Amino acid sequence: MSEHRGTVGGPVLTEWFATSNLHELAVYESLGGYAALRQVLTAMTPQQVIDEVKTSGLRGRGGADFPTAVKWSFVPRDHPGPKYIVVNADESEPGSAKDRYLLENSPHMLVEGAAIAAYAIGGRDAWVYIRGEYDLPYQMLKDAIAEAHAKGYLGDHPFGSDHPLDVRLYRGHGAYICGEETALLESLEGKRAQPRSRPPFPALKGAWGMPTAVNNVETLSSVPWIIRHGGAEYAKRGTEKAKGTRMVTVSGDVQRPGNYEIEIGVTYRQIIEELAGGARPGRKLKVFWPGGSSAKVLPASMLDTSTDLDGLKALGTMGGSGGIIVMDDSHCVVKGASRLVRFYAHESCGKCTPCRVGTNWAVRTFDRILAGQGSQIELDLLDRVQQGLQGGRCLCGLGDAAGWVIQSTMNHFRGEYEEHCLHQTCSVEGALVNAGRTP
Amino acid sequence: MSALPSHVIDEIKALPARYPQPRSAVMPALDLAQEELGHLTPEAMAEVASALQLDPGYVEGVASFYTLFHLEPIGKHHFYVCTNLSCTLRGAEEIVDRLRSATRVTEPGQVSADGLFSYEEVECMGACEYAPMCRVDHGYHYDLTPEKVELMVAERRSAPQAPASGKQKHV
Repeated sequence: MSEHRGTVGGPVLTEWFATSNLHELAVYESLGGYAALRQVLTAMTPQQVIDEVKTSGLRGRGGADFPTAVKWSFVPRDHPGPKYIVVNADESEPGSAKDRYLLENSPHMLVEGAAIAAYAIGGRDAWVYIRGEYDLPYQMLKDAIAEAHAKGYLGDHPFGSDHPLDVRLYRGHGAYICGEETALLESLEGKRAQPRSRPPFPALKGAWGMPTAVNNVETLSSVPWIIRHGGAEYAKRGTEKAKGTRMVTVSGDVQRPGNYEIEIGVTYRQIIEELAGGARPGRKLKVFWPGGSSAKVLPASMLDTSTDLDGLKALGTMGGSGGIIVMDDSHCVVKGASRLVRFYAHESCGKCTPCRVGTNWAVRTFDRILAGQGSQIELDLLDRVQQGLQGGRCLCGLGDAAGWVIQSTMNHFRGEYEEHCLHQTCSVEGALVNAGRTP
Repeated sequence: MSALPSHVIDEIKALPARYPQPRSAVMPALDLAQEELGHLTPEAMAEVASALQLDPGYVEGVASFYTLFHLEPIGKHHFYVCTNLSCTLRGAEEIVDRLRSATRVTEPGQVSADGLFSYEEVECMGACEYAPMCRVDHGYHYDLTPEKVELMVAERRSAPQAPASGKQKHV
């Protein structure tokens, strides 16, 4: 079901995915795996690694879109004591499954990328914080790390060099907030996962108080290819400002849900209609979330929007973590938004008042609307609450994301909201009964 | 009478050395305790705290923050059913309904009379391309239908040992 198509210059991440047993070191290596780590350790300085990644234009694929090489260069070279790479494998943005897909297909690709990153910042250990529900990817990563140690590719003298490298695993235990880097660091330190105030930024004071760069699974998985082929080759893919390829997960009301590697710059129409097969027979696409549930929705009339990040930014939305959720005309936008708002309320860590109180306020308002008790008051209230959730009032973006769901669905589908609130009906899914079931 | 057997306490005491700072051992330690007992009792959390030289309240504070730590009893087979948007669009509500009727567990938090089953509705578990999906017995189960759910429950009811893991798709 999941496949890689849509790359003009050829795939990067999924290049070898057609080969069976790619998760075994011997297979991975026979195709060229670990050549990049060998090259880095035997023939490149850390600065040359950073420069190569800088040339590639690679940016963070966890959602923040920050240039990877710049993030690495923030880690102070001359800091005494340990410096860490922390891999964010806590994928939990609704609609995003691509990191799981990469890990299940090619765990060595992440191990190699994480080791290269640790070398680039002058560190020894890369800690992979992997979500607790990912039993299979965890086991596969554990096996891959053991294989790499047995071969002498990790350890005190990887590839005979004098730069010790290791990749370590830490399991999460179910908290969306851990996708936020400072909450993840708190959790890694054995605490409740609540975001930290910044500064200090993780580059100076991150994991266990040491300089740290936090990178996403997909970001680091792209690094071995960049080293093997050169940053310039990677930069030939994509658009002027957004280089390379990226993974997207398409889910919801489409014929072929799946994970696809795309060249940045293709349109959502190409992804949703060509790769994912478009709407099911007799149905019409209505709305899509272009980059996880935290990206503002776009109506189907905007399917020709490019995946180019600046274009999305101009529309006030984002490519985020690449999770594209598609909804057709058989589903109610108000109910969909309500489900997502409930998610944000559940996952709010409770530290900042606007998010803790605002998301719950929104949930109760949606519950009234879906129970047929809506009115102009609820419409106005939702508008006030979404404004209160936004605007950088909190330590992290969770509250903002909840606000964006409400704001963008109300903006594009005001008619559906008015129908629910002013006429107590839903022309899409019928009677308003018990739509706000409590999980 | 202690809640945790001494070999588990010994394993927990060995954990802090693995991390740059000992506090990081709290979640792996709670994992071991939960694996042993099925869920985290106040006594077990206190023993974890004592083994790690942490405050009991601190340990409970961590345990209560995360979804995967259970402070109340759960069934031998605990179903985590995703009801987030992608799964709901493809029928997660029907999956939950069928799970309820098949296990005769009517609400989250309840355990079936025979102790075999419990469930909870959870947020996105990162397998949206296979929606609707669930996790049970440390494995993912994909492209669920009410019929599949019925079968999964029946298999677990009849077998003395549950299947060790779920359907594993590598591609």
